Amino acid sequence: MAQVVCRYRKGEAVKWISHLDLKRTFERALRRAELPVELTQGHNPHLKLSFGPPLPLGATGDAELLAMHLQRPTPPDEVARRLNEQLPPGLEVVEAWLVPGHRKKETLGDVDVAEYVVAVRDGMEAEALRSRIEELLARDEIVVHRGGARPERTVNLRPFILSLRLEEAGEHEVRLHMRLRTGSHGGARPQEIVSALGLGSGELPARCHRVALYASAEAPAATSPSRRRRWARARGQEPRG
Amino acid sequence: MQVLSYDHLLPRVTKPARYTDGEWNAVHKDAASVRACFALVYPDVYEVGMSHLGLHILYHVLNSHQDYAAERAYAPWPDMADELRRSGLPLASLESRRPLRDFDVVGITLPYELTYTNVLGILDLAGIPVRAADRGPDAPLVIGGGPGAVNPEPMADFFDAILIGEGEEAILEIAEAVGSRSREAALDALARIPGVYVPSRYDVEFAGPGPRSRVTPRGEAPRRISRRVVSDLDRAPFPTRQIVPFLETVHSRATLEIMRGCSRGCRFCQAGGVYGPRRERSLETLLQQADEVIRATGYDEISLLAFTSPDHSQIEELVSQLVARFGRRGIGVALPSLRADTFSVSLANKIQEVRKTGLTFAPEAGSQRLRDVIRKQVSENDLFAAAEAAFSSGWTRLKLYFMIGLPTETDEDVEAIGDLVERLAAFARGVLGPRRGRLQIGVSIAGFVPKPHTPFQWEPQDEVETLQRKQRILQQRLRDRAVKLSWTDARVSALEAAISRGDRRVGQVIARAFRLGCRFDSWGEYFRFDLWQQAFAEAGIDLREYANARLGFDEPLAWDHVDCGDKSSLWREAERALAGAGE
Repeated sequence: MAQVVCRYRKGEAVKWISHLDLKRTFERALRRAELPVELTQGHNPHLKLSFGPPLPLGATGDAELLAMHLQRPTPPDEVARRLNEQLPPGLEVVEAWLVPGHRKKETLGDVDVAEYVVAVRDGMEAEALRSRIEELLARDEIVVHRGGARPERTVNLRPFILSLRLEEAGEHEVRLHMRLRTGSHGGARPQEIVSALGLGSGELPARCHRVALYASAEAPAATSPSRRRRWARARGQEPRG
Repeated sequence: MQVLSYDHLLPRVTKPARYTDGEWNAVHKDAASVRACFALVYPDVYEVGMSHLGLHILYHVLNSHQDYAAERAYAPWPDMADELRRSGLPLASLESRRPLRDFDVVGITLPYELTYTNVLGILDLAGIPVRAADRGPDAPLVIGGGPGAVNPEPMADFFDAILIGEGEEAILEIAEAVGSRSREAALDALARIPGVYVPSRYDVEFAGPGPRSRVTPRGEAPRRISRRVVSDLDRAPFPTRQIVPFLETVHSRATLEIMRGCSRGCRFCQAGGVYGPRRERSLETLLQQADEVIRATGYDEISLLAFTSPDHSQIEELVSQLVARFGRRGIGVALPSLRADTFSVSLANKIQEVRKTGLTFAPEAGSQRLRDVIRKQVSENDLFAAAEAAFSSGWTRLKLYFMIGLPTETDEDVEAIGDLVERLAAFARGVLGPRRGRLQIGVSIAGFVPKPHTPFQWEPQDEVETLQRKQRILQQRLRDRAVKLSWTDARVSALEAAISRGDRRVGQVIARAFRLGCRFDSWGEYFRFDLWQQAFAEAGIDLREYANARLGFDEPLAWDHVDCGDKSSLWREAERALAGAGE
């Protein structure tokens, strides 16, 4: 048994594909590629795959993650090549690596930080927006309602914002860079930050691009240094605390 | 060449992936390199339309030919339709995002009467005049086909041509007739193709109320339009590179068409006359196609499509070999249509050794007398034996389909449905023993709709109030905890009957209903019977003349010019049904 992790791109052409549909797309591509992915036992066998944190609908990403258990060792480069031959336009495995055999129970569950560049159709003076960002970050609580869940929940976003800065402010568009907590222990969505800043008047951002995913220093001890380096490499710099 | 972008609309609509293309196996051809471009359209939302095999076959046949190209379009969901109207953008194809009005042919299938307002909605959104008579020389040819085409009259005013019968048989002849010709010349050429009905070449005489219309040809058009039929199904083209949708569609699985037509001869059903004769694909062909489809799609389920899949002469061997070949790889086999007998249950056992999803049987009527009238060849013994086999081998869920309002039906026959279900539930509890608490019986009740080209085409449908009263009988009767009762809205059945037996006057009603805002009529949340009633009233037409009238053998029927077999043999079959009714 071997585990291979793929970093893939989700591009413009598939940005409206939901996470659930994306999972099925990968399953079908893996079956077409005839890669020896393990099947789960039980009533309804399916491929043993785990996915990194979902992208919001309409967002693109360069740092998306997929881990798979293989029945027999297959070189990661071959996995990437054969999978890419079967992926629809807009999806591409950029790199793949083997997870060392002694850590059998590995999943992508400890990925808990996501970095986004978000472009919003809105005009605002750079200075005014900067001070609005400062005000937001100075608050202890940024409470939002999440309508999708039932019963409706309120969430404090503030602890989930690791950094937030203005990249560019133009007449029709402002561009933000944000580093947000994500994953099973709670997180913030880029759209929520945009709304909290009073930008975009409720519309989805014109562009939302995830540039990096990684496990933070505060993540469970199971996160190995090698893996942190690997995920960091996906974003082209060393991880920060 | 205009290429449209909907990018700015997509953030505002539900399921934007319905409009984005790029699915695996979708075909992108250069329009400049072919002689005719087809937009193939299904008049319902993407998830429904993508599950329809017919258009995939035509897509495959056209795109396999170097001179032709086919692309797809579906009815935009109301939120997207509204966004398109607001922004003034016309409806475009998925593949090249060109407006439908720039294609040579817009081919629209007619799957079901309640999609007809969507057909008009699609033409309107595409900027194509809804009425064929209003289309100028540059408009695409709008060609219809599919199951609804066997009575083309209610949609005749909106189509330039309608193909009767099986499309793969005629589509290349149609493409040849259309390729680089003027509109009038193309219509002349189309009218010469067997099976193609060009409504503008016919006169209509309204010979009485309701479906009593006479359609007669002008000039060289044929008096009766024959139905195109694939003679050798085994050699007929079949798409194995099936388009794999991103979205979860109604049937997101590999499809094999194992059989076409049906020889059972149920008297209410069009399957015999309209889809017949019964033809099979061979074991060798099907196994090879299964390999190809799975390799090309990566699906984890193969569905064996047929009206009644256990009727295929090699079904046991087929199922065994498919399970042996694909089971280990986690790829399942599905039989969507079973008979209510033990053979079917043992087949289902073979494919679902672990996963017991639920079985569906269609006794259609509660009493043996009424089953004999409709010629549904299922006895109570068959049904109980099938239920015993199912419940003793692990199933706990059963779904039963019945109809109310069938010819000669009395309240006792309706009570008999309740009686049969109750006895079946009690029997099932006995078989299940300690697991009886998990029993679930879904009972689905539809209203009988008299369909053209069936022995019951002359029969009246029950009035809406009668159907509703019969529903209440069952509602009061079936109070078993394990039984879940559902039914088709009687008003939906009435509309279905009126359109099903409709003529060009009903076409005027459809156009009015569309103008009044009717769309997605088969979706409960959009069905507006009040608007339909208004449309009938404004057109001065009585729905009941179409749905509830008893028609006579000597009276002209709006669909008599479509040749789906011998009318007098249908009549004799109806006489046999009614003669046996009193016994």
